[in-house]
Order: sequence, then structure tokens, then C-alpha cells
Amino acid sequence: MWSDGAEMLLTSVVIVLREVLEASLLVSILSALSGVLGISRRWTGWALLFGLAGAVGYSFSVASISDWFDGVGQEVVSAMMQLLIFLLLLMFAFLATRAPGSRRLSEKLIVLVMAVMVAVAVTREGFEILVYMYAFSAELPRFMTTLAGSVMGACIGISIGVLIYYFVSALSPRLSLIVGLGLLALVAAGMLSQAVLLLIQADWLPSQLPLWDSSGWLSESSVTGQLLYALIGYEATPTALQASFYFGGLLLFLIVAVFAVRPREEVS
Amino acid sequence: MLFRAERLLLQITLVFVCSVVSITTHAEKPVIEIEIRDHLFWPSEVRVPANTKVKLLVYNRDSTSEEFESYELNREKVIMGNRKAVIFIGPLLPGVYPFFGEFNPDTAQGTVIVE
Repeated sequence: MWSDGAEMLLTSVVIVLREVLEASLLVSILSALSGVLGISRRWTGWALLFGLAGAVGYSFSVASISDWFDGVGQEVVSAMMQLLIFLLLLMFAFLATRAPGSRRLSEKLIVLVMAVMVAVAVTREGFEILVYMYAFSAELPRFMTTLAGSVMGACIGISIGVLIYYFVSALSPRLSLIVGLGLLALVAAGMLSQAVLLLIQADWLPSQLPLWDSSGWLSESSVTGQLLYALIGYEATPTALQASFYFGGLLLFLIVAVFAVRPREEVS
Repeated sequence: MLFRAERLLLQITLVFVCSVVSITTHAEKPVIEIEIRDHLFWPSEVRVPANTKVKLLVYNRDSTSEEFESYELNREKVIMGNRKAVIFIGPLLPGVYPFFGEFNPDTAQGTVIVE
């Protein structure tokens, strides 16, 4: 009986940690960069609130959304959210690196881009946690175990976010912009590759045999694998399409960031 | 170095074209039905042909939601209570691909056998 409960607790810790980590990473890097860019961090509160409302709304309508597009609505909507986050991250890279020259003009836009990004990410991740919690709401003892595990998972995820926030904030402004954008580049590439995977699952994109299989070296089900999945979008068996979008997205993000920086350096 | 990069690019293009062709020619995908009852998969073992795209129809007969998940198949999908879900898998190489219900991993377990 005890081991059953312990296992259930661990399962919920891992499930919730994985979901929270993705959103918490995005929030912590963006708020740290807000500080670097001299933008007030007040937007995070609103973005989280909108995200939570979005998660509740999405979890109530997911049953009907699932039936869209011949039963693959969930994949398509989720992939669109990730594509949106990817595009907003590109916009952010462009605006953040340009900011010092034309700050007044773009500050409101940067805040909007960051807030929408975080709200969408929290909607996506929060939805999965809510659905997971609902699944056990009928049985009180199981629900309490799940709740305890979820709170632990959420706390670990938020703590990692806080650590990253202080790490990025502690660097010199220029270095923290570089490190922050570097981390965001990995997040962006992961978002794009996940969106591609979802569209493959929905049969909207062609499916292929995996390009490689690194599951023997690092399994996706291991704790390290799960953490790397959240941080850099690690996949043990990606297809060629997924891998090319991952590296293409990474490259595109870096090109946008570097090109946006260049004119400023020429002026100064 | 350039030759290597070109060859990789060519390989990627070939895989891409082949899969587009295989998708358009295999319009009729085999459908396999699985049920979730009392947090168990019925059947818990399904056999599918190798190198073929297959449509899995998963019916959740429980009132609680479940998440179909498989690291080996690279699939993950929430299925609400008393609902069905469509999940496309494959083409796959012959082998054994375990899947499980993420919300009830101790009981909800199954395997896809590709042959």
C-alpha cells in the first residue's frame, strides 16, 4: 500500500515538474531579460493570470477541440500555440537586441510579445496539469496524493526557474542578454520541433523513420531525459523533418538576434 | 566537408520525398482500435505491419481522463473520459514499442508489435 502511494506521488511529481519547467524557464529568462532591458516586470503577473484562465478554459473545451479536424484538433491547436510562441520568440530576439536605440518605440511591443508568449505557454502546460488533477478528483485519497505530488513538482519547477532567473540576472548586462537569448534560442528550437512532432502525429506532416536512436545513451523517460526535453527539446528518436526544423529554428533565431544587434554596433 | 553536407542534405531530401510519396499512395491506412477500461488497455497488445502508417483509435470507456503516452513511438495525447482519440503511428521498423497511460502507469500498459 505504501509503495503504491509512493509510486503515485513520484509519478505526479515528474508529470507536473515536466510541464511546469517549460513555462517556468520561459518566465524566468524573460523576466531576467526585462530587468536587463530596463522594463518593469509587472507584466509577468498579468501574463500568468491570463495563462491560468486560458488553461482552465482550454481544459473545459478540450473534449470538443479534440474532435476538430477528424479527431486531431488537440494536436493542431497545441502545435499552433507552439508555433505562435516560436514566432513571438523570434520577434523578441529582434526587438530585445535592437532595444537600446529605439527603446521608447518598442518597449510596449516587447512587453506585449513577452506577455502573450508566457500566457500561451502557461495555457498549454497548465491545461495538462489540470486535466491530470481532474482525473483523480473523484477519489479523495488518490487525489490528495496527486495533489501533494503536483505541489512538490510545481515547487521544484519554480525553484529551477528562480535559480535561472538569478543566474541570468547576476551576469553583466551584455553577457546576460547573450546567455538569455542563447537559452531562448534552445527553447524556441524545442518549440518548433515539438510542433512538427504534433503535426506528424496528426498526419498533417509526413512521418518518417527516426534519423537516429539515442535512447540507449539517454532515455527520454529518465529524469535527465525529461529535464533535457523541457530545456532543449531533447528527443531520443527524432525524424529528419523534426531535426531539420530544430536546427533550422535554432539558426534562424541566432541569425535574427545577431543581425538585429549589428546596426547598433555600427552606430556606436 | 562540402561533399558530406551535400550528401546529408540529399539524404534528408530523399527521406522527405519518400515519405510524401508513401503518404499519398497509402491513402487507406489500417485502423486499429484499442479501449481503455478500468485503467487497462484492451487489447494490451496490438500487431501492426512494418513500414506502414497506422491509425490508432483509442476509446476511453472510463469516466476519467487518461494520457496515451509512448517514448518509443514518440506519441502523447490526452483522452478525456468517455471520449475517443485518433493517433497516427508509423511507418515503423519491426520491433516492440511499449505504450502506457501516463495517469495510471502502474496498470495501463500495452505494446505495439511491429512485424
